[in-house]
Amino acid sequence: MKKILTIAACLALGAGNVMAQETFPRNGVYDERSGLVAFTNATIHTDYKTTVTNATLLIRNGKVEAVGKSVKIPAGAVVVDAKGKHIYPGLVDMYTSYGLPEVKAERVGYGSAPQPETAKQGAFNWNQAIRPETNAVELFKVDKKEAEELRKLGFGTVLAVHRDGIARGTASLVTLAGKRENEVVLKDRAAAALSFDRGSSKQDYPNSLMGAVALLRQTYLDAQWNEKNAAREQNISLKAFTEANKFPQIFEVTEKLNVMRADKVGDEFGKQYIIKGAGDEYQMIKEIKETKAPLIVTVNYPDAYNVEDPYDARRVSLAEMKHWEMAPANAAMLHNAGVTFAFSSADLKDKKDFLPNIRKAIKYGLPQEEALKALTATPAKLLQADNMVGSLNEGMLANFIITSGNLFADNNLILENWVQGERYKVTDVPADYRGVYTLKIGQQPDRKLMIAGTAEKPELKVIAQDTVKGNISFKGNLVTLSFAQDKKNKQSIRLSGWYDAQKMQGEGQLPDATTVKWSAALSEAMTDKAKKDSAKVADKIALGEMIYPFAAYGQAAMPKQEAILIKNATVWTNEKDGKLENADVLLKNGKIAKVGKNLSESGARVIDGTGKHVTPGIIDEHSHIALDGVNEGTQAVTSEVRMQDVVNHEDINIYRQLAGGVTTSQLLHGSANPVGGQSAIIKLRWGKNPQELLVEGADQYIKFALGENVKHSNRSNLHSIRYPQSRMGVEQVYVDAFTRAKEYDKAWKSYNKLSKRQQGKTAAPRRDLELEALAEILNGKRFITCHSYVQSEINMMMKVADQMGFKVNTFTHILEGYKVADKMKEHGAGGSTFGDWWAYKMEVKDAIPQNASIMHEQGVVTAINSDDAEMARRLNQEAAKSVKYAGMSEEEALKMVTLNPAKLLHLDNRMGSLKPGKDADVVLWNNHPLSIYAKPEKTFVDGIAYYDLERDEQLRQDMEKERVRLIQKMLTSKAGGARTQTPVTRRTTVEHCEEVEHSEEDAYLAY
Amino acid sequence: MKITKRYIAAFAALLLSVPAWAQVPAPAAKQSKPVLLKGATLHVGNGTVVENAAVGFDNGKITYAGPQSGANLNGYEVVDVTGQHIYPGLIHTNSSLGLNEIESVRATIDWREVGDFNPNVRSVVAYNTDSDIIPTIRANGVLMTQLTPIGGTVSGSSSIVQLDAWNWEDAIVKADEGLHLNWPAMLIETGNATPDPRLRGRAEAREETLNQLAKLLRDGAVYKSGKHDSENLKLAAMAGLFDGTKKLYIHANYGKEIIEAVNFVKPYGIKDIVIVGARDAMAVVDFLKANNLSVIYSGVHALPGRSEDDVDMPYKTPYLLHKAGVPFALDYDLSIHGIRNLPFIAGTAAAYGLDKEQALASVSLNAAKILGIEKQAGSVEVGKDATLVVSAGDLLDMRTNNVTSAFIQGRKIDLNNKQKFLYDKFDNKYKIDTKGVVN
Repeated sequence: MKKILTIAACLALGAGNVMAQETFPRNGVYDERSGLVAFTNATIHTDYKTTVTNATLLIRNGKVEAVGKSVKIPAGAVVVDAKGKHIYPGLVDMYTSYGLPEVKAERVGYGSAPQPETAKQGAFNWNQAIRPETNAVELFKVDKKEAEELRKLGFGTVLAVHRDGIARGTASLVTLAGKRENEVVLKDRAAAALSFDRGSSKQDYPNSLMGAVALLRQTYLDAQWNEKNAAREQNISLKAFTEANKFPQIFEVTEKLNVMRADKVGDEFGKQYIIKGAGDEYQMIKEIKETKAPLIVTVNYPDAYNVEDPYDARRVSLAEMKHWEMAPANAAMLHNAGVTFAFSSADLKDKKDFLPNIRKAIKYGLPQEEALKALTATPAKLLQADNMVGSLNEGMLANFIITSGNLFADNNLILENWVQGERYKVTDVPADYRGVYTLKIGQQPDRKLMIAGTAEKPELKVIAQDTVKGNISFKGNLVTLSFAQDKKNKQSIRLSGWYDAQKMQGEGQLPDATTVKWSAALSEAMTDKAKKDSAKVADKIALGEMIYPFAAYGQAAMPKQEAILIKNATVWTNEKDGKLENADVLLKNGKIAKVGKNLSESGARVIDGTGKHVTPGIIDEHSHIALDGVNEGTQAVTSEVRMQDVVNHEDINIYRQLAGGVTTSQLLHGSANPVGGQSAIIKLRWGKNPQELLVEGADQYIKFALGENVKHSNRSNLHSIRYPQSRMGVEQVYVDAFTRAKEYDKAWKSYNKLSKRQQGKTAAPRRDLELEALAEILNGKRFITCHSYVQSEINMMMKVADQMGFKVNTFTHILEGYKVADKMKEHGAGGSTFGDWWAYKMEVKDAIPQNASIMHEQGVVTAINSDDAEMARRLNQEAAKSVKYAGMSEEEALKMVTLNPAKLLHLDNRMGSLKPGKDADVVLWNNHPLSIYAKPEKTFVDGIAYYDLERDEQLRQDMEKERVRLIQKMLTSKAGGARTQTPVTRRTTVEHCEEVEHSEEDAYLAY
Repeated sequence: MKITKRYIAAFAALLLSVPAWAQVPAPAAKQSKPVLLKGATLHVGNGTVVENAAVGFDNGKITYAGPQSGANLNGYEVVDVTGQHIYPGLIHTNSSLGLNEIESVRATIDWREVGDFNPNVRSVVAYNTDSDIIPTIRANGVLMTQLTPIGGTVSGSSSIVQLDAWNWEDAIVKADEGLHLNWPAMLIETGNATPDPRLRGRAEAREETLNQLAKLLRDGAVYKSGKHDSENLKLAAMAGLFDGTKKLYIHANYGKEIIEAVNFVKPYGIKDIVIVGARDAMAVVDFLKANNLSVIYSGVHALPGRSEDDVDMPYKTPYLLHKAGVPFALDYDLSIHGIRNLPFIAGTAAAYGLDKEQALASVSLNAAKILGIEKQAGSVEVGKDATLVVSAGDLLDMRTNNVTSAFIQGRKIDLNNKQKFLYDKFDNKYKIDTKGVVN
């Protein structure tokens, strides 16, 4: 976590100079004015923590000349009496698209034609999503309408970010003055911008989040290489990237997990990003804080859902409901955790919500001072522009707002917004007409007119025989009223007139079309107290509990590790002892402490296992759960992408699989490419963060794939382009990739052998993440799980491995393994297969349910895997099918989902059997574990019961209670006039959103 | 078990020179003499269990089913199956078996026709009795299926077939017994929020589909009453819906869709409605009961629809339906090859609360009732077809499911299949390799 460099102040502006268009010729006479203005008697907030009352602000030439209580007003100054008003530094929004062209995000779906190469002409980067050569200042145009909209919110200065691509180039700091671009640009290159979103690029790569991470990492490496070897390749983009690295780095993400993902990339390359988040950071506050990243926080709170209809309400997830309630507390929670942040109006559908939402954040616990800081000093400092904006000290830009009162009070109004010494009127002070009037209409009996509400939004009640509500509005001193005649007669009386000397009068029309004269004289002005009461009193803020993970079945308190003694069960040890009847198992300190008979342990919680079975936890060798994206389905070789970059700990399937006895899963890349991505092996520690799910010290794996998927056989004719299209080509992809990897490995090895001095004289080889991962395979540091079906390709893969000098650790799917089991045994490869799948595609027409048994009989380490989030819950049953179809022994069958996958993952020293010293990953079953009637009652990981049938029941009840509470709250909120949104079915999203359709297809490809 | 395997292996080795052998075995000949199975535990299919039972059948029909003590053995070939279990042949509802061989190969797909409304399309004519998959399905105890066309709004007529026949005509148990209506997915509820314009387009398309469906039902009813001046294949195919001779299977999953669909079609005088899919059935269980609807519940082996759902909701829904008194059958709609797991779908339902015999009924007698063939099939009772399964152990548990013989209409079917053939072929290769024996 690198500390931000603070560049010495006064870089951009020569002190005292007028920002002007000196070089521009004038068509007419010179008309330069100094703009000397003094604001007197004001309450001035010179910075977020300093308030001076009864003070004067003096500005000249667009800058602050003096501020304080005893400022001498020079001759020639225009004096503005600001008595009763507040002056704040102009607000700074460090994440806008102000003045920049709209970015059209390209949707590249599963069915789109591939575009493997860049379509951008010129000496730019190979990938279109890398566009650091973009300088926002070159695209920037002053936009009057947009500027006015932002000024209304109180902003004087914004960062203009061109939000396109992964490396987005530089962003400009500009004011919102309606002047020429040359004058409003404060810093042409104030920051560099990054993201994981490829934006307008139509190029295939990267089509996944992990691909974006890899591309960005490779770009850092390439830029470093290019800087040192400028003569090797002319590359405008890489040069620009290096240049942009000198500025503060702003990284935009779309959800909290990406904050950590981005920060990790920054750490690797010595950059502390400023991260523009999505408003959900509070859900992982501990991890967010650990990044030490300053945040740009949005206030885009979700609307309440329409939940009147119980069916519809069920489609709103608990996480969505809780986020609705807690989102306004995000800023307060970040502040309490000590996270530095700036507010931004980014992502708001309706910009008018900005200040009300900031006020809401304050009501939810953010101190006002901190809110002001996040709107002024923090963004100014993060952009190294605190010498210009963010406070109102001498020499700073004359960017300030004049308000009717405290900026954060509900009834406050921004009256004027001054930018670079120019005045922009925002609102008039509304005259306060509130009070009780006596209304006379023609010859009708007197009515009482009560005007309450707020000064700017008065509310009308008319009291005669009935009391009716009406509408009243003022424009200047003109007034319009309408109200129902009485309760029964809803037809309206409509009046129009003017206000003068505490009296309104004018003409109107009755429902019977007669015109009348009317008047209303003030009888009693509203008292201050009544005025206060009249403003709506906010409800007390009460929030539900924070849960981990922030999802259904999340818990406020995580289950604890304890000493557990399971007594009198049938214990499947998977060790020499085999299956023990009436035996005990002791779990202690997260490990299996003892297995045997008549065990006792003081302090241990005893569980009666009579009639029950205890087995090691199930290990799923082939899984795609808990991932944000499965395939980087673009290039034939993508060994640079890593599943560990996209682990999502909130996937409900983690919990569901615990309920099926699974304790460890290998999360694999899909099967779209001959060389896929690097695997992640996780334990199902439900509630822990992605990093904590990873199995510590596990060997590194990578996914390979053969056959129809990598040939694009089952896709449209548009996809008959990518090499390989045949099993012949698949072999060549491997031979080529490993030949390159060997050369790469050799180059680095010989470079590393050089002395320091020699190294200084020799250019280091370019670091290539793709080849690096392949070289790890050659060096026995990374192991292969290879998706495979037919015997020819299995055989081919082993021959390529022999030729290149590596081993295939595991063939996965391997449905024709039974045809070449002897060859697999000879090579030393394991097999991880399905219980009984076949016939779903051409290459599995010869698959048989006795496959596992034959491989096992031939001495191949054989496992049964899921590749399916549902079937993973029943892997014990899938293993049982080898008993049914091929007569395998029950103990051997159980090993296929416990010990054998542990062996394939090189984790059998700590998992897979019930042996003292191994991890306490244990399942307690109510029945024989190979039976359809068996279900886990408790699933322990590291001795912690992450799944417990009894607690599950409790969790369901708690969840339902919490939902009902939130539903009621939403209904109340809606009744109170809050905006709402309609729940949308998940199915809708799947059918309409190409991206989701894409991942759905990827899931199929993963077979 | 082991011995049998070796025996078969050796036998296979002898027959390796006959390539056609055992891929798709020949259908069994008509029952030529009375057979009596004795000594087994009989699971009738209607909830009853008879220990030490006997089942006799002649001419394809069951002549005796009860305690062994009451059986008259005269003239019967007696087969001792002591210690084993007898079950009715399982019935797979809502099935695509035989309408597709390999889903990724377009040429092998025969389950969907062009267009949105295809009431005149008949699945049975496309049924491939020579599918390699069928013998593997039978080997686990599934002996009949409902051939169901898919896709579009009205996908066509289904027929019920038995799984041991030379051709589709011979396979028919009941032809064109029902029409299948895929209820258009309810995409977005009307609310005061502005929906995404793309969603609105979808909602409009849905409205149009429902208008066309209404017109089809209206015109179909009028056509049926005989007042038509020209022949219309589509309307003619719908006639049975209005006199109860043809069922209407409505495929719908979301609770509101089920209610909407049933209320939509009822006014047209549709007599016999079955809900298929019904993943959300428990949310509308009172509606199902009030309307006397039967359900073919899909997706026992499925993930819950919502994160918040009970993790075992799909597993226990059959039990909950039973408790609520809704008649139902279970199907397996995840894949075609996986239909052989139908007994384990029932087994899962039993693991999650349903009584084992009730679980069996959900893939036998209750399925037969829903399909309207309960007089002929679905349970081991006198007078019905002798379509039954003998298993060494509990049929519903993969740990014990071991079908030793099976009969369709009294014909003892060949339980061999392509997969056993390949198994034996390669098992034998390794045995020869290790022993160095050259055959």
